[in-house]
Amino acid sequence: MKRMAAAGGFAWTDAELEPIRPAVERLLDALERLESLPLEDLEPTTQYRVF
Amino acid sequence: MADLVWTSMADLGRMIATKEVSPVEVVRAHLERITALDARLRAYITVAADAALQAARAAEADLMAGKVAGPLHGVPWAPKDLYSTKGIRTTGGSKILADSVPTRDSTVVARLAGAGAIVLGKLNMHEFAYGPEGLNAHYGDARNPWDSSVHRATGGSSSGSGAAVAAGLAPGSLGSDTGGSIRIPCSLCGITGIKPTYGRVSRAGVLPLSWSMDHVGPMTRTARDSALMLGAIAGYDPSDPTTSVLPVPDYATALTGEVKGLRVGLLRAHFTDIAAPEVRAAVETAARQLEGAGAIVDDVNLTHVVHVGPASTAIIASEALAYHAAWMRTRSQDYQPDVRERLRVGAFISGAHYLRAQQLRGLVRSEIDAALARRDVLLAPATPIPAPALGERETMLGDGQSDVRSALIRLTRVFNFSGHPAGSAPCGFTASGLPIGLQLVGRPFDEATVLRVLDAYQRITDWHTRRPPVA
Repeated sequence: MKRMAAAGGFAWTDAELEPIRPAVERLLDALERLESLPLEDLEPTTQYRVF
Repeated sequence: MADLVWTSMADLGRMIATKEVSPVEVVRAHLERITALDARLRAYITVAADAALQAARAAEADLMAGKVAGPLHGVPWAPKDLYSTKGIRTTGGSKILADSVPTRDSTVVARLAGAGAIVLGKLNMHEFAYGPEGLNAHYGDARNPWDSSVHRATGGSSSGSGAAVAAGLAPGSLGSDTGGSIRIPCSLCGITGIKPTYGRVSRAGVLPLSWSMDHVGPMTRTARDSALMLGAIAGYDPSDPTTSVLPVPDYATALTGEVKGLRVGLLRAHFTDIAAPEVRAAVETAARQLEGAGAIVDDVNLTHVVHVGPASTAIIASEALAYHAAWMRTRSQDYQPDVRERLRVGAFISGAHYLRAQQLRGLVRSEIDAALARRDVLLAPATPIPAPALGERETMLGDGQSDVRSALIRLTRVFNFSGHPAGSAPCGFTASGLPIGLQLVGRPFDEATVLRVLDAYQRITDWHTRRPPVA
């Protein structure tokens, strides 16, 4: 996590990152489950458009 | 004089226009109430007493000269402290922006000023709008006025807006809503509000949390007042490229009180059915009351909403960190701990995850559109629980134990994700006296129908007229 944060330009310590580890792991697990949804033909909906 | 603080914005505007009351009297009554109660409620971060009185005198002079800007002429209000206000500091509820004084108004503040409305001050909020409880380590936690013994959450992030409007410290406010930050405090504080369709109201000059999920909207005590405020702020703004060019209807005229033949879908699975028993009962009763008024009510289920939680977290965390990246590199110690931790999570979401989450929005939006193809509005609780005590971390829902934060945003964030308009109004009270809020969801850009149903509901119930014990 420290290396990933550093790659993003954030010099956070292990002690600072450890409290968020469970939340990050739960989130990434849940995001992996999105792979099973029928999303192949859908454009990402960033909503930046004028109706 | 005391009654002026409980008078609706619509009635204040009418009384001012007919010279039954002076804008100066109205502003002064609210300032006196703020002085009396705000040390306890912590609804305001900044009170702009001198500027408000000066504006009230100018509104009075205009009135005497025969110039009335509109139905909000001389009517006070207060924005959440993330709207830029010229000459009044805009902190975002943060230490980082504690001394930031904008040189111009945000679009919506300027539009309300053009409509004659008067800013009383700036309202408390969860720091940088990143939390549904309404916590603020820098300016104090706003207090829910419905419990005078236990310090309960107002809900957030528009916490001061919820407390101020509920307790008569302002007749109306503008909140912002990224995962429910208008509807959650409306539900927990017993007031009325609406998150409009994404693109209906300009966000220019509003501190962002998540560009593709942020919405701006009114928080008031009645649906009619929300209609008045929304009418003043809605519409295309060249400073916000996401705003729609669609014409803005006259929302006040849409409030016919009529719901006969209107089709209402009661959201069951993952919404009403998982709410606390008293919340579920109140929303089911509201459905029957609308049915009694002539609406046609049926049950409806949405399936893809179970994936909205992680997907919306991925989007908000990514976009929020993008906005806060520079400060998170140099001033992370100046954020309150919960916000700092949420921002850090954004560093671990890949571009692929972000775009996968954005793809899901299309799927969820299509499912909600399909449900609304045969119905005019969808009905659900706004929050599955009433106001939790501050520090309460766990709660029980119909499908198991949940942390309080997740429970608060669970029923609202779906419609930030999809962009549909969604309003909230009080629909009952728990046995212990805490408000319960319903949520009505409409078709894209059909805020008028949402407001019409909320207003019709308020004509046959009196929940919105009750006053909290702290007040």
